[in-house]
Amino acid sequence: MTSNVAHILGRQIPSSALRPPAADELAQWGGPRVVRGKRVLDLGCGDGRLAFGVAPYAREVVGLDPDAELIKNATAKASQQGLRNVRFLAGAGQDLPQGDGAFDVVILSWTL
Amino acid sequence: MVDALREVHRVLAAGGTLVDARPDSRVLAYAEQVTPKGYRRVGVVRTSARELPNDQASDRAVATVVRDGLFKRGGVHRFWHRVPFEDLDALRDYLSEHLRFERRARWSIDRRERARIRNEAFAIRRAVRWEMLSRR
Repeated sequence: MTSNVAHILGRQIPSSALRPPAADELAQWGGPRVVRGKRVLDLGCGDGRLAFGVAPYAREVVGLDPDAELIKNATAKASQQGLRNVRFLAGAGQDLPQGDGAFDVVILSWTL
Repeated sequence: MVDALREVHRVLAAGGTLVDARPDSRVLAYAEQVTPKGYRRVGVVRTSARELPNDQASDRAVATVVRDGLFKRGGVHRFWHRVPFEDLDALRDYLSEHLRFERRARWSIDRRERARIRNEAFAIRRAVRWEMLSRR
């Protein structure tokens, strides 16, 4: 148990705080090999919980979410962390801006 | 949802992987007391009846794109994770605010026992289903 949700309930917290840590979720899927060296789209990325979790392994990570405020915060966090292979975009899953075949892996984590 | 999955198919390279992970409403979640020896199950938490149609719609959307030949299934899996709470009141607050679950747990311990342990740490243990699909 790494965090105590009770202390932060009542304040505005990202829903990702109530979800499994990205490393735990990735481990369930088979570990870093699932995304290593690959182009990854995290669709419905929210605050970037999983995008940040796979970034150390992936070649490129794009996080897309309709919530512009979350995207703004995730972009700032990526910049603060000096991550060059991660970018975040506001948008809808029904109309993705990327071209055909742009990704090797698409993640829908708590999105569908 | 089907439209989004068709877009996913478009942006995935041939042979690419789609990971679909989401809460698993096929099984109950559990309220647990955290004890020095581990976790003690003290109740169950059901998925809200309002959420079940959404989950079923997600299942149907995936089934549709598989049936249409866009993706090949790789097997459905389940794992469990715990959402921690400082005490019983915090767990109750969570349930009252969280739309996914029913607003109250169904306790397997009586009122007196709940009062006795109300200041202990608690957790909700919930299931996540995940599936890896290959783009055809």
